[in-house]
Order: sequence, then C-alpha cells, then structure tokens
Amino acid sequence: MLGEIREPLRRDAGAGSKAGARAGGMHGVLQSLARALTSTAGRACLGLVLVLFLGVIFNADGAFFKEGTHRDTLRQSSVYGILACGMTLVMLTGGIDLSVGGVLAVSSVSFSLLTMHMDWPWWLAIIACLFLGSALGSASGALISNAKLQPFIATLALMTFARGFAKYITGGQKISTYVTQGDKVIIKQLPTVFKVIDSRILGGNLAIVSVIFLVCFIAAWILLARHKWGRELYSIGGNEEAARLSGVPVRMAKFLAYTFSGLMCGVAGICQAAQETQGDPEAGAGYELTAIAMVAIGGTSLAGGRGSMGLTLLGILTIGYLQKILSINAVAEAYRLMITGIIIVLAVLTQKRRSR
Amino acid sequence: MRSITKCIFCAALLCLLAVFPVFSAPKYTIGMSQCNLGEPWRVQMNADIKNEADKHPEIKMVFKDAQNDVLQQRAQVEEFVSAKIDLLIISPKEAQPLAEPVSKAMSAGIPVIVLDRDIIGQNYTEFIGADNVKIGRAVGAWLVKNYGGKGAKVVEIMGLQTSTPGQDRHSGFLDAIKGSDLDVIFRADAKWLEPDARKEMESALSRYDKIDIVYGHNDPSAHGAYIAAQAAGREKGMVFVGIDSLPHEGVAYVKQGILTATFQYPTGGGEAILQALKIFKGEKVPKRITLGSRMFTKDNVDAGGVAIP
Repeated sequence: MLGEIREPLRRDAGAGSKAGARAGGMHGVLQSLARALTSTAGRACLGLVLVLFLGVIFNADGAFFKEGTHRDTLRQSSVYGILACGMTLVMLTGGIDLSVGGVLAVSSVSFSLLTMHMDWPWWLAIIACLFLGSALGSASGALISNAKLQPFIATLALMTFARGFAKYITGGQKISTYVTQGDKVIIKQLPTVFKVIDSRILGGNLAIVSVIFLVCFIAAWILLARHKWGRELYSIGGNEEAARLSGVPVRMAKFLAYTFSGLMCGVAGICQAAQETQGDPEAGAGYELTAIAMVAIGGTSLAGGRGSMGLTLLGILTIGYLQKILSINAVAEAYRLMITGIIIVLAVLTQKRRSR
Repeated sequence: MRSITKCIFCAALLCLLAVFPVFSAPKYTIGMSQCNLGEPWRVQMNADIKNEADKHPEIKMVFKDAQNDVLQQRAQVEEFVSAKIDLLIISPKEAQPLAEPVSKAMSAGIPVIVLDRDIIGQNYTEFIGADNVKIGRAVGAWLVKNYGGKGAKVVEIMGLQTSTPGQDRHSGFLDAIKGSDLDVIFRADAKWLEPDARKEMESALSRYDKIDIVYGHNDPSAHGAYIAAQAAGREKGMVFVGIDSLPHEGVAYVKQGILTATFQYPTGGGEAILQALKIFKGEKVPKRITLGSRMFTKDNVDAGGVAIP
C-alpha cells in the first residue's frame, strides 16, 4: 500500500514543505514525520486509524479481531470500491458521476437476464454488460464534453434514465432463477459464473469480488499515475482552460473518464448480481453517494485536480470498516446514520488544508 | 390554410376517439392508483388485480403509478374523479394527505376501495388489507411450536423500522415468543433490502458461533441471510423464515429448499375486483376486510400452502 501512497506524497510536496518550514529547527525525523502526517495521505490514514481504533474499542465480544470480519469487510466494500475507482477519475476532472448506482442496476439485471433467462455463455454476457455500462457512461461523457452540460445535470439525467431502463427491461420484477414461460414455471440452476464470482480463493481468505476490485483498482491506478491520460485528467481538474491552451485534448480525456466510470459500473453490476444471485432493478440505489463519500474522505478534492487512487483506497477502507463496526455491534439504524454523518465530517475536517 | 386542415384533422381524430369507446365499451371503468411500483410486492398487487379483472369482460382497468410521491398520487385521484370512473381502487402512500382527495371522490359518487394502508377519517366504501401484527405473531408461534424447548438462538433481520409493517412484524413476533425459550441474540434493520440483510447476517455470523433460526421480515431478507450463511458454510441445519410469499420470491425459495417457511402477506388485489363487482351489483359490502394469510413449507408448497387460522 505504501507504493500507492507515495504518489500523493510527491504531489503534495508543496504543502508538505510548508508544514516542514513551520516545524523548522526540529529534528529531521520529527520533521519528516510531521510532513507525512500533514500530507493528504497522512491525514487520510488518520481517518482510517480513527475508525479502526473505534473497532478495537467496540469489538463486539472479540468479533472485530476475527479474520472473517476483515475478509467480509473487504468483500462488502468491493462493489462500492469498484464504483469509487471510476468516480476518482471523474472527480479529478472536477466532475461528478451520480449515475453509477443506476448504471450498476442496468448491468446487474442485464447480466442476470442474459445468463439465467437467455442462456448466453458467461463470457459473452460479461462482455455485453461491460459494453452496456461503457455505452451508458459514454452517453453522459458525450453530453458533458461535447454538449457542455454540467456533470451534475448530465449524470443526474443518466441516473434517472438508467433506473427507468433497468425497470423497463425487467418489468419491475427481480430477475432470478425462477423463470415463467407462458403458464409454465421453471426453476433453473444458478449459472456457474454466479457461483464462481461469489466464491473465495486462497483457502477461503479472499473473495473473488475483492480480487475483481483490486484488479480495477490497479488498472485505475496505473492509468492515473503512469499514463498520459491520467496526467491530462489532473491538468483538466487543475485548470481546464489552461489545459486546453497547452494542448491537452480536454474533450476526449473527459469523455473517456465518464466512459471508464460506466465501465466500472458494468463490472460492479456483475459483482452485485453474483452476490445477490439475482438481478434487482432497484440495486445500487444510493450507492453513488457512498462512492462519492469514499473518494472525498480519501482527500480527492471535489473541485478536481487533487487526489489519487491511493487516497481513494484509504477512503474505501475507512467507510467499509465504519459500516462493519456499526454492523457487528448491531447499532440501531438511527444511531448508525448519525454516527456515519459525524465520522464523515471528522474525516473531512482532518483533510482540510490548514496551511492555506 | 394548412393550419385549418390541421384543425379539421385534429377535430376528426378527437371525434373518433370519443366515439370509439361506444363500440367496444366495457360496462365499468375502474381506476387503480398504486403508490409505488418500485416494490415487487406492489407489482404483484397490480398483477393480481389485472388477472382477476381479465376474467370479467365488463371491467376496464386503468392503472396509474404515483412513483412514491404523495402529491402525484393526489393528482391522480383527482384525474380519475374528473374522468368520471365508476370505481376507484387506491393503495395510498400515506394515511393523512390522501384522505381529502379520497373523500372528494366519494362525494362525487365514486365508490372507493382502499388497499393495504388505511386512510385517516375512513371516508371510503371498503378497506381491504392484511394484518402484519397477526402475521408476525403467526411466525413466532410457528417457531415456538416447532423449535421451542431447545434454547434456540434467533437472528432477526428486520424491515425498515420507521415503517409500520416493519414495526408490526417485529412486535407481533415478540408477542408470540414471549415466555418461550427462543432467544433473539442479534437484531438489525436491513430496510427490506437483500444486500443489507446479507451484510448484517455476516456480522451476526462472525459474532456468534451458534445461530439456529433466522427470521427475516421479508423473503429477500431471509434469502440474503441464507446466502451469507452459505458463504460461511453454516447454512445446514439453520432455519430461515420469511414473510410475503410472492410466487417468484418466497414461494420459489421454499421450493428450492432455501427457506424453511414463508408466510404470505396477501396483496388483496384479486379480492378488490370481486368486491368491486359486488358494489356494482348494489350488494352491501363490509366496511373492512382483513385478509387471511397462508403458510408455505416444503411439504405443502406444491399444494398451495395452508391457511393460517
């Protein structure tokens, strides 16, 4: 994980050196520690440590220390995490993608429909769903980059449309192994691909959905930190006009960012369907807000230009662990919502740059 | 010139539309205002109404979906009234705000059948609904009868606790297990949602080594809990019970051996049409009908379940 954090550390060198200058005269080690703690990554770590500390205190009769709890946390955060990967790229450009939950639902019901009811081979169904997700994402991308719609409006429209589309193709019902053909009712076998995606490897210690999440994460990280396109996204978020004048293909880069987010929704939808063993047209409602919170808690700025995948990972783990800790302690819903709100504020407050 | 042609064309079209119903007119038009078609149970309610109405050619159904919006539903009721339908079936979103539009329909001479949720003031022809407390109690009684006396540990995956059905299914259940040795060790609000139920059940599993019974306030919750237990390799010998019994959800889960039992929460859709026909014939109908529930287990599911007294 250190490798992933190194990126933001370097980018934040400016802020870090200011903090370092303030701490001037202190011992070198203390200085670098102060720099690490005041860097964006350091502060994002602080949020995670705070939440883990809560887990240690409220450990629910030791349930927090069981290996299974952590494995489940990673699995439960995976779908959100996959969405957050696409969301990070979009938010770096200064945009936002509200449509992720809706597009996830489209992908989820399509995957169930194609494999369960229409007996498509699994690989074809996966390709179709990834394509469908990307296509929906590219629609909002085109609206934003070419028709110059505000990202909030364009993705809000897509969110509504996609939810309706998911309901349309399913007729408002969940798509499961229970198939009605005319008057006859058939209960089909659950397709193998569902069982595979929802299984675990490494002696039951790593869920396949977590592996899928990690693959998406690494892909997004490489694109962002090591690819020209990633640099372009940062520069667009920093100052779009300046980026355009210095020859960055702004339209194309933004279009691709939303398309990538749509692709991630396609992946997340397949994972969601596999975990639910069905396609639910209501799936993913409200997930966009969780994904945005994860990215923002990590320290990626909503104004764009600042942030990284490493930070998003910290954000994903922070929210994931918070949900898990509240759940194992069987905290009532009302308190859960209030506590989550307070923790989000605390985490973002620690993020706030005091050096300005 | 062109606009005149357009006008004439439109007028002709309107005349045609106005005359058209005379040829194929069913005798009665029934308007159905559904508060939200986002829930499978309500989709089923509309399907039940349609199935029953299709058997009676004298009835023409018009369905409207208020998309979970009180004001939209209010507007729909008003539209139905001005369209002078013969009877209104409404499954209201909320008790208070829809009382006035419904009583306006009544004073316009349109009989109203209220489904599932009651309306404040009770100014309607007939109410048809089921009793969640009773069903929750039936679940509890059935569990005590079959699994009592062995110190069974129970996980309760609750429906949204700010909703009346969620509260009623909880209180009825508590009432029935009072005094028995069933021990509820873990209780969480999954808001009727399957993915949430799975997460909560995973927490219960990592916290407790012995869980015997899972009571889900709806079938998807029980199903989500089952998937969690299965992933942990602990589903064998665990009892999963849910409520609602939609044909493609709870009943299918029982057939597949996932749920041990499911208790029906009837939609009353079919009953509403039968009652409407009685009203059209001028027969007297009761002010209130409480629907009976059915229970499905592996043994009786193919025979259509058994009625609960």
